[in-house]
Amino acid sequence: MEKEGLGLEITELRLGLPGRDVAEKMMKKRAFTEMIMTSSGSSSDQCESGVVSFGGDVEKVNDSPAAKSQVVGWPPVCSYRRKNSCKDASTTKVGIGYVKVSMDGVPYLRKMDLGSSQGYDDLAFALDKLFGIRGIGVALKDGDNCEYVTIYEDKDGDWMLAGDVPWGMFIESCKRLRIMKRSDATGFGLQPRGVDE
Amino acid sequence: MNYFPDEVVEHVFDFVTSHKDRNAISLVCKSWYKIERYSRQKVFIGNCYATNPERLLRRFPCLKSLTLKGKPHFADFNLVPHEWGGFVLPWIEALARSRVGLEELRLKRMVVTDESLELLSRSFVNFKSLVLVSCEGFTTDGLASIAANCRHLRDLDLQENEIDDHRGQWLSCFPDTCTTLVTLNFACLEGETNLVALERLVARSPNLKSLKLNRAVPLDALARLMSCAPQMVDLGVGSYENDPESESYLKLQAAIKKCTSLRSLSGFLEAAPHCLSAFHPICHNLTSLNLSYAAEIHGSHLIKLIQHCKKLQRLWILDSIGDKGLEVVASTCKELQELRVFPSDLLGGGNTAVTEEGLVAISGGCPKLHSILYFCQQMTNAALVTVAKNCPNFIRFRLCILEPNKPDHVTSQPLDEGFGAIVKACKSLRRLSLSGLLTDQVFLYIGMYANQLEMLSIAFAGDTDKGMLYVLNGCKKMKKLEIRDSPFGDTALLADVSKYETMRSLWMSSCEVTLSGCKRLAEKAPWLNVEIINETDNNRMEENGHEGRQKVDKLYLYRTVVGTRMDAPPFVWIL
Repeated sequence: MEKEGLGLEITELRLGLPGRDVAEKMMKKRAFTEMIMTSSGSSSDQCESGVVSFGGDVEKVNDSPAAKSQVVGWPPVCSYRRKNSCKDASTTKVGIGYVKVSMDGVPYLRKMDLGSSQGYDDLAFALDKLFGIRGIGVALKDGDNCEYVTIYEDKDGDWMLAGDVPWGMFIESCKRLRIMKRSDATGFGLQPRGVDE
Repeated sequence: MNYFPDEVVEHVFDFVTSHKDRNAISLVCKSWYKIERYSRQKVFIGNCYATNPERLLRRFPCLKSLTLKGKPHFADFNLVPHEWGGFVLPWIEALARSRVGLEELRLKRMVVTDESLELLSRSFVNFKSLVLVSCEGFTTDGLASIAANCRHLRDLDLQENEIDDHRGQWLSCFPDTCTTLVTLNFACLEGETNLVALERLVARSPNLKSLKLNRAVPLDALARLMSCAPQMVDLGVGSYENDPESESYLKLQAAIKKCTSLRSLSGFLEAAPHCLSAFHPICHNLTSLNLSYAAEIHGSHLIKLIQHCKKLQRLWILDSIGDKGLEVVASTCKELQELRVFPSDLLGGGNTAVTEEGLVAISGGCPKLHSILYFCQQMTNAALVTVAKNCPNFIRFRLCILEPNKPDHVTSQPLDEGFGAIVKACKSLRRLSLSGLLTDQVFLYIGMYANQLEMLSIAFAGDTDKGMLYVLNGCKKMKKLEIRDSPFGDTALLADVSKYETMRSLWMSSCEVTLSGCKRLAEKAPWLNVEIINETDNNRMEENGHEGRQKVDKLYLYRTVVGTRMDAPPFVWIL
């Protein structure tokens, strides 16, 4: 066992060009490549092919961003930081992201990711959870039967009643949300329901 | 010194505060050992499993401040399973039972529960300072106990912890009589914050010097907070989104101007970059700026801000600053001592990342630079040689080239010569992290020149066991060695077992060490805990007929005076 590592490497059978340094480099790259290739499910046979194509494969694999992200714990960024930077990434990339939600009578605003809701029902549920009050969402479904009204500010700066337009259209134009008491709603300037755009 | 009475000697020892020095004092003679241990107030334990609470209390009965570290460093990168260990409860229980007058507790990478926080808050009348870094396992209920029960609380500093936010009212648990706060950092809390309680707390804390807010504190609240705390030295801004015309923004501008003691700025977790100019009036006083979580601040707004910060000593930034931005830092921040450049795009292949040019510019422009953490796209040997020449005073040099095994992008050579130049020139180097394509040669250089090196991080590097041997034989002051995905095996591991007695710990994952190698090590060194962490095949390791040859996925060994720990989970096998 101790003899290993003392220059007998030259007698070892290996893949790769003759010449120790290049072979060693290839072995290392191969280790990394194998790791990401097996983890991404592709056949490790690709690594066993001749040097020229092997070299080519290494380059390709190393450049692919999906492959890079498969190595656990690399790059060495601590998990707290990862979580917090991914958050930003998701909000800026998706574009819909977080909107402010205010509720009458509550002294602070909340922020909510519209992109994480699938539709008005989902939104209703999420709003209920956000403020811990049941029934906000009911307004979205039942209209006239509840204490609260959910309105949103659209791209033009107008305050609209939530629920009129298809979900996709809604999340694209919604800038912020407000949950107000129905009793305060009169005379606020809500666009009336059922009016054509 | 032996002619002096003990009280005089003790008085002299009071002036010696560093742990290293006090440890050295205690080794001089029995009498000094005795005097030192009775007068020691601050104890640092770098590995919580190296000793136990009973031994701690026996030796240092007058303990007032304890620092404990739990999980190994690579736990930060998800290489250590959550349940591995590092529980603080047994420590707090023992300290509580002994009635020691604990005033300060600092924990890093430990598992903290609400139960431990509750016990802590009730057991020590003079408890003043709690600092938790990268810990987990507790909720805001635990914070509520601390707030409610620690009458003389001075510091509550939560850095990058995983805290379950129950959205309770922990801030309002501070009694109205609590006016002693100096540090309040809850930036890592995810949930809402009771702004009214926060404002009242800040208003009644005239000594508050450090305040770091979380995302849920909006700009108008920030304006009010700063107005009632103009003595602020260290501010972490939460959400910084607003309209620059609005009243709250104007109020904020006025409040900021009054904060003439402000020296450190961080946060900006959500930011409207055009509002940054509100901070320009105080930038010339800043010595520390951490924008590493401010993904929305880049480009011209960032540059303008930095150009005002001429006295900056510490800068943490994202790589979206680019090489050009780093050139601005180099020409503006002549007092810079510590720089950290973090990757902004973790999914790989970002174009805005920095290169060797930025690093060279910084090294050329900032003569006082001694600590650097630099994530970059590419590097060259020539650049590293230049950096070494420009900055021979590095204490910490951590370079992370995002793509593993990447060679010098100009010459396609390994980066051995570049890192070699760094260790040769930087005679005070204590911490080094390597990356890029590296052969055994770089370890030869490290073993030869890095005489003061205490911590070395290796990933995807080296060719044979010789590499690791160079380091183990050469670096006399090595304390923590952590290696992943490198071809080092049993030969290197077993070459000099007594070396591990001089080190705090060794981590090796995805290397070539085998189970039989580890078993042999454990036999030769009963004063070491040799842990095999194997999450997948718990039982297969033992039952497999060829178990000797089987490679160990994760090995963590550390010296200890208290033997095998009893709290290890089933997937940790202590040999």
